[in-house]
Amino acid sequence: MKQMDRMGWLFLGLGLPLILLLTLPLINMTTQPSLSMLKETILDRDVAAAIARSILLSLAAAGLAFVMGTPLAYLLARKDLKGKKLLEGIIDLPIMIPHPVIGIAILSLAGRNHPIGRFLSEAGIQIMGTKTGIVCVLLFVGLPFYINTVKSGFDSVPVRLENASRTLGAGALATFARITFPLTWRHMILGIIMCTARSISEFGAIVIVAYHPMTAPVMIYERFTAFGLKYSQPIAVWLIFISFVLFVILRMLSRSIHTDR
Amino acid sequence: MIQLRNICLHLPEFSLTDICLEVHSHNFFALIGPTGSGKSLLLEGIMGIMPFTSGSLIFEGSDITRVPVENRQLALVYQDFALFPHLDVTQNILYGTRYHHISKQEARHRFDYLIAALGLEKILRRYPYNLSGGEKQRVALARSLILNPKLLLLDEPLSALDPVFHDEARSLLKKVHKDLKMTIIMVSHNFEEVLYLANRGAIIRDGKIMQQGRIQTLFEKPDSRFTARFVGMKNIAAFEPHGDVLKIAGTDLDIVAETLPAPDHHHLGIRPENILFHPPDTPPVCKNHFTGKIKDIALYGVFTRVHMDVQGVLFEAVWPRNLVNEFCLEIGKTAAFKFHSASVHTF
Repeated sequence: MKQMDRMGWLFLGLGLPLILLLTLPLINMTTQPSLSMLKETILDRDVAAAIARSILLSLAAAGLAFVMGTPLAYLLARKDLKGKKLLEGIIDLPIMIPHPVIGIAILSLAGRNHPIGRFLSEAGIQIMGTKTGIVCVLLFVGLPFYINTVKSGFDSVPVRLENASRTLGAGALATFARITFPLTWRHMILGIIMCTARSISEFGAIVIVAYHPMTAPVMIYERFTAFGLKYSQPIAVWLIFISFVLFVILRMLSRSIHTDR
Repeated sequence: MIQLRNICLHLPEFSLTDICLEVHSHNFFALIGPTGSGKSLLLEGIMGIMPFTSGSLIFEGSDITRVPVENRQLALVYQDFALFPHLDVTQNILYGTRYHHISKQEARHRFDYLIAALGLEKILRRYPYNLSGGEKQRVALARSLILNPKLLLLDEPLSALDPVFHDEARSLLKKVHKDLKMTIIMVSHNFEEVLYLANRGAIIRDGKIMQQGRIQTLFEKPDSRFTARFVGMKNIAAFEPHGDVLKIAGTDLDIVAETLPAPDHHHLGIRPENILFHPPDTPPVCKNHFTGKIKDIALYGVFTRVHMDVQGVLFEAVWPRNLVNEFCLEIGKTAAFKFHSASVHTF
């Protein structure tokens, strides 16, 4: 490792406030609740269910992003589509739009006043106040993170390797399965992590589409407004802790498979 | 035999125009041209990776112009070999066998033959990142040859190799062609390696075929200034015919050629290795005998390139280094040289 020179120390000094800004509130919050309070909180069935719901629905949204977003990311990386830049801009939109606006947009589309809403309702699909609605919102906000990560993975695989596979007799699908996928699955895992992370933290859009069934961020907000800081903090600590463990496991899984090869 | 009939391929920034070629079975055919001339694009077109805009590609009597890449029964070895980085050497070599209806027994038989023939026994479990350039080339060759392709396409197979592996790899290609009696089309910008490997070839420039035929003919009888320069012919000058001699335009220099030039020929060229040193104090024995002032001497290993000025015309000769030392040839001194009339080529 290179030793720090004067410029290194200067840059560290400039970056230090940012590190403190990120770490101090989190350290303070995670050390505030007592162990007995943390234990009491996790034994609360509503809290455990809300945390589990947040994680499972986020993973479901990431799963859908994997199934439907992977082909789309491949097309964006490989093909010269008309309106490609426009499509990329649309995919990035959820990063920029205020999240309550996303909730309102989805709700207005899924409402009885809209043909799509009426169609969904007749098909027995409810968006307002359901897990389906929550997954819909989470997919909306998490998709740009999945698609952009996986697209950069596809970009990193030389087209020449796919062409070489075709010259050896493999068709397009076989080439994707035997060359492209094995070389990009780590990007897909990273995309799933990014999409899940973004989804777990979502509040603004969910609170409009589905206040109930309650996800962890909505419950933290509810406990905060109804009972104050002291009762919302332990849920936040558990959410951070469980999410952290989940992401570490996913990262380790990705790395261990890589090492085995 | 493969025939390219009036092939065109238009890209936004480059085009192949009206390409007509014939490559007969068991030939080692070279597509030669400078960087950016379109030779690799033509190879990808033959393989089917880049679809031709018009024209037809006939292979063994069948039109394969619209046949998908994977069904063409051809094989392509890329310049950087394009080995699959997540597969080891064995997996790379066997990759295509499942798509060519090759039984496991037959695949194993061909695999054993190729790893012995190409000397790959010790690296079968290694991954591409752990292979030298020469080893990568042999693996890429084995990966294609195991499919027993009817036509093997090679895209600058030697250019990515270190000089250490270059000669070895060149000999290997020669051996593969000889032993397997395979038809090969190779892309190259290096005329020396083409001379060693190929028996026929075509010179391509800006997406057009400039000249095609036997390699030796391309080398000795280029039909344009571009081809002449590309095959290493120097001493190119415009001439005007005066009776039996060719007068270099704007000078009094008379050059004697073995045969009279065709009416549409206006340039002559002499290969630098055909310009022979004439020792001082010996009588001229050749009609093309000149004395020039040495303008430059450049060392190229055991050879030197000597540039001599005769009446404002610069002649370039390639002479052994020890000859230059023996006769104390230096810049500013004079040197006599000669060349046979058979060495004078017009176009």
